Amino acid sequence: MRILRSVRHKVCADGSFMKEFLLDSPVSAEFFRYLGTFGHVESLHRVGEGFYKFEKPDWFSIKGFAGDTTVEVRFKKEVMDLTVDFVYSLFSSFREGNVDLSSLKQREQAIGERVRKRLYGT
Amino acid sequence: MVPDQKPLIYLNNAATSWPKPPRVLAAIAQSLSLPVFGSGRTTGTQGDDYLTLARDRLSMFLGGAPPEHLVFTHNATDSLNILISGFLAGKKEECHVLTTALDHNSVLRPLHEYEQQCRIRLDIIPFRDCSVSPDAVQASLKPDTCLVVMTHGSNVLGSVQDIRAIGEILHDHGIYFIVDGAQTAGHIPVDLKDLPVDAFVITGHKGLLGVPGIGGFFLRDPETIAPIRFGGTGTDSFSLLHPRGMPERFEIGTHNYPGLAALAAGVEFLNETGLATIMEKAEKQTLFLIRELKKEENIMIYDEHPDLPIIAFNIKGVQNDDVGFVLARGFNIIARTGLHCAPLLHKAIDGGEGCVRISPSWFTTDEECRLAADAIREIARNADSTVGQA
Repeated sequence: MRILRSVRHKVCADGSFMKEFLLDSPVSAEFFRYLGTFGHVESLHRVGEGFYKFEKPDWFSIKGFAGDTTVEVRFKKEVMDLTVDFVYSLFSSFREGNVDLSSLKQREQAIGERVRKRLYGT
Repeated sequence: MVPDQKPLIYLNNAATSWPKPPRVLAAIAQSLSLPVFGSGRTTGTQGDDYLTLARDRLSMFLGGAPPEHLVFTHNATDSLNILISGFLAGKKEECHVLTTALDHNSVLRPLHEYEQQCRIRLDIIPFRDCSVSPDAVQASLKPDTCLVVMTHGSNVLGSVQDIRAIGEILHDHGIYFIVDGAQTAGHIPVDLKDLPVDAFVITGHKGLLGVPGIGGFFLRDPETIAPIRFGGTGTDSFSLLHPRGMPERFEIGTHNYPGLAALAAGVEFLNETGLATIMEKAEKQTLFLIRELKKEENIMIYDEHPDLPIIAFNIKGVQNDDVGFVLARGFNIIARTGLHCAPLLHKAIDGGEGCVRISPSWFTTDEECRLAADAIREIARNADSTVGQA
């Protein structure tokens, strides 16, 4: 799955920076289950095709409906420059079935250290 | 989900009303179809005098206040800034100012700026049962209280405040009273000739059915507010001093003629439809929505008896922002979520988390209310699922 482009953006009331991304194919429940490896996923799976929200505290959240080709991503502004590429990687690395997550996990760890240092100085 | 296949249901009228009466759209087009007529600014006589039309029509609508005491601005926030800054410009010493926890950032932020500058001491009057009581105002007064700025109708709870009783108390103490009527003008009768207020703020793009970019205020005694902006007025142009007469005292630069045309048409629509008729429909739909939402135990409604067509709620187990997202993307229903620029109010009712607000208008149909209630209830009934956790 690929992000084609950002179709809308705004600064939210909570200070986060929202980008709406257009994808080359619809997101699925399986995609959000895959995201769960990297953070917390909540759903209202019986509403429509299913509403899903992935949260990676201090990094970003991703919201969308299964079957939609757009998702809303809210970045923590202070570290957006560090985390935005990881969003693209999460989408491009996703495959139906088994996905090798080892390299993504390594990147997550490396970025995480920089995020912590920026936000908390540790 | 393909929400485009569902008809758009717009329930964010407390932010900006939509749709507009067809005559409002026609008036905007008409206003731009000929060169604008602005007194003192053109030799042309084409086009209508929208400035006079809007001023006369709005002043009549607001109880027959003298038209020249009605000033046009960009919006309610602009009006409040002019009034608060203009009032304090006349104060040489620090004084005590009151506002309420119901109020919008359009009031809170200007006052906090002046508090930061040590120009005022600011106290916030808390609310109880969705209202600020006249007794609470009376109890908050200090010997040097010089100004009270407060909302007429809460933009979150939909509760209308007893500004008559409060204004009488304040005037007995010689305290200046500015009222923010952004949420009430066009929704309930406002008689400015009769109400004990010194200034009353309106905006054009909500209940008055105009468009964004036009607002205003009524000012009883122009001498109480110093002008803080200066420039061209198209009048008395040889003088390098800004005119002090009304309304030029506060109206600078070229007016928003399409906005004025829209506002005049919006008020005309309200007059012809009748506020009583509009209020009756709003009450019926608001009661229906509240009754429906109350059927789900996990929906918390923050004011079950609002005076305005505004319903604030949360669904336990789902963040307000997510409810708004699901309504918009899954059902094509537009609401508003978050803090609604009223941080102190939200701190009091939901710990500062924010809530979902729905607000129908005259153009909202009963069927749209039913569909919206069904959608919110469906979200509430499914508000307990989790698919995974890292």
